[in-house]
Amino acid sequence: MSETAVTEGSALIEVDGLTKRFGTTVALRDASLEVARGEIVVLLGLSGSGKSTLLRHLDGLEIPTSGSVRVLGREVPRLSGRRLRALRSRIGFVFQQFELVPSLTVLENVLTGALAELRGPRLGLWSYPRRLKLAALAHLDRVGLLDRAYQRADTLSGGQQQRVAIARALMQDPEILLADEPVASLDPESSEQVMALIREIAMDAGLTVVCSLHQVDLALSWGDRIVGLRHGEVVLDTPASGLAKAEVMEIYGRVATATAELEAIERELADVAAEPEPAR
Amino acid sequence: MTALLASGQRPAEASPPGSIAERAPRRIVSPERVAAALTLVALVGMAVVAVAQSGISITGMVESWDNAERFFARVGPITFPEPAELAYLTALTVGLVLCGTLLAAVISVPVAYLSAANTTPGPGWRAFGRFVGVFTRAVPDVVLAMVFVLMFSLGTLPGILAIGIHSIGMISKLFADAIEQIDEGPRLAIRAAGGSRWQEFTSGILPQVLPSWVATVLHRNDINLRGSVVLGYVGVAGLGLEMSFAFKSLNYSLGIGIAIVMFALCVAMEVVSSAVRKAMLTGGRASGGPLRATTPDAALRRPWTASRVRSTAWGWIAAAVVVGSILICDIQWGDLVTVWAKMPAVAVQFWPPSFGNYDAATMFGAMGQTIGIALAATLLALVVSVVVGSLAARNVAPNGTVRTSMRFLLVVIRGVPEVILAIVLIVITGLGAQAGTLALAFGGIGLAGKLIADSFEEVKAGPERALAATGASRTQVYASATLPQGTPALLGHGFYLLDTNVRAATILGIVGGGGIGYYLLNAGQGSNYQAVTAIVLMLLVTVLVVEGVAMWMRRVFR
Repeated sequence: MSETAVTEGSALIEVDGLTKRFGTTVALRDASLEVARGEIVVLLGLSGSGKSTLLRHLDGLEIPTSGSVRVLGREVPRLSGRRLRALRSRIGFVFQQFELVPSLTVLENVLTGALAELRGPRLGLWSYPRRLKLAALAHLDRVGLLDRAYQRADTLSGGQQQRVAIARALMQDPEILLADEPVASLDPESSEQVMALIREIAMDAGLTVVCSLHQVDLALSWGDRIVGLRHGEVVLDTPASGLAKAEVMEIYGRVATATAELEAIERELADVAAEPEPAR
Repeated sequence: MTALLASGQRPAEASPPGSIAERAPRRIVSPERVAAALTLVALVGMAVVAVAQSGISITGMVESWDNAERFFARVGPITFPEPAELAYLTALTVGLVLCGTLLAAVISVPVAYLSAANTTPGPGWRAFGRFVGVFTRAVPDVVLAMVFVLMFSLGTLPGILAIGIHSIGMISKLFADAIEQIDEGPRLAIRAAGGSRWQEFTSGILPQVLPSWVATVLHRNDINLRGSVVLGYVGVAGLGLEMSFAFKSLNYSLGIGIAIVMFALCVAMEVVSSAVRKAMLTGGRASGGPLRATTPDAALRRPWTASRVRSTAWGWIAAAVVVGSILICDIQWGDLVTVWAKMPAVAVQFWPPSFGNYDAATMFGAMGQTIGIALAATLLALVVSVVVGSLAARNVAPNGTVRTSMRFLLVVIRGVPEVILAIVLIVITGLGAQAGTLALAFGGIGLAGKLIADSFEEVKAGPERALAATGASRTQVYASATLPQGTPALLGHGFYLLDTNVRAATILGIVGGGGIGYYLLNAGQGSNYQAVTAIVLMLLVTVLVVEGVAMWMRRVFR
């Protein structure tokens, strides 16, 4: 009964001592994280550092090996069936590969975000109530794609598809938005648009956002708070504004494997250092 | 605003200006899509009428159940041929089918090369390749067997050639599809390195398509084994011939015995070929690993790892099976030389096409009945196989037990040769369309159910996961992510089934399942070969129409 007694206080997300093993590999090791309502948090780390696994635990897409995951006052791993779906409907999830249904229209893809509040399977636009269709169109307008409503999803560019995916998440009227490398598959210009859009929407609706990224400069300029992950461990948790690049660099430096990615990060840091800091 | 209206923009009906409903674009539906959808509806409507007319009724079947009881009482104890003879007949049937399928596979390689869009030397060649494919597919193997039995009179060659030529159609089509789906990169790399067209094929294309080609050949081999039963009815050696003798001499206990052997053989072949397919798909990836050799000289000898030993052993076993098949068929190679002399005399008998003793109305009516049987059977099979096939798909089934049992059910259904099923049903329900429709519908579930399950497992998992993450239920994910992604494949399978059923309905007519097949067998046995040609032409036109409609649908509902 303690679950229902918990009031949704300051921390919407409480992860404590989370460990996850896949066979012999450890994806997360004793990771802890608290996120308050309205925070915009970046999970920063190289590929394989456990960012995605952590995000997927928050939505109940993975079951922890040990540790606790509380989201919106619910112990996520204990939920299943209807109650898990009810929790998921309050959390929007944006994927790296957009994951739209390619053969459906853009509008119907957005409408699928409302499935949790409807009963039974839906096939075709006619099966959704007019109220929801209007809401979906409004969300499409919000992401600037109203004119594409009746195109097939796979006729859109990557950046446009990701914006449709964001509209689908908005359709859930979520309290939390999780984004897993939302711009890793996009060109720089689309990336900037999509990241700006996520931030704007989050500020307008007072959403709590947890977004995983691997680009240091983007993370520093975009997030309010940076949580660094390395080999499945939380190695950094600090407000973005007070963070020196050297500090982040040191975190990555300790990975100490001369990978191409590390070199890429070094180059990025050099670029950021050379330019005046963008005001945000 | 007025300018917008004048330039053909939609008027702002009831919605207040500036609202979302007013600013949203109108849905554009292409006239071609509407036409295709109407055609589809019309086809389904015709199928529904055909089901109603076929006289299938549960009460009727229950009433005729005592027919079946009486029949099985009369059959008495089921008997089998002598063990030695049974073993020989089984080996002969399998060998003959294998030889025929392999013949088709060999011929299909150049045909597919010519018909694939990315390898064809030119549009003329492509049209030729496709014509060969469509033509060989449209002429039923039974008709080919009839012709070849006339020309060769003895031995296994008529059966091998009938299976071989008829199978080119399907195998070359699937081969060409596989070529069209390859990754062009490796091929481009070989061309860039100065490779010839031939090298492009052997090093760039072949390695990519081989697994799919082997799967195609195995799949066709299963089909041919089931089809070999009916070839016995026109005189091709093997279990089918013995079974037709047994039924014709009213020795039902032996006939049913051979039918049971045939069923077991089909299930066994299905199990073997699915095991081979699985090994082909997964085994290749596991092999390899770091080489321990320290010098290039030492590395010249590829190490005999467990996986290499295994694949070499299987390779030799496969080669031995092929050689064994050829030996047991005892092919009269000389016939291949002498046959050319007989050909003109045989060909003359088949020309010009004419209905002979029958009037045109009867024949067109019979053809219509065959098409009706095919449509009804396709509809019934699809309705059931969408349910069974979905539950057999890993990403749809609620748990592993359901999936495994549905897959098993599909294997068993596929194992039953339709002809045997038709013969049993004819005994229960009497001669006519009802038995034919039910037999085809039942067989169709096995085929379409498997294809649907496989296509649903192949849809992108990402959208399903994304919808599950929004809190959608299992059935909602199925309807909104799995089904829309699987629909083009579903449509394709539906038309493939219809295409197969038109020909299968003809063949079932031969054993008494109603329709044109009865007249085909009569014409063949009465040496009325001009009527055979006329019937084959009708069939050809029907199959081509179905093929054309299917291609159109696939293009429109991509």
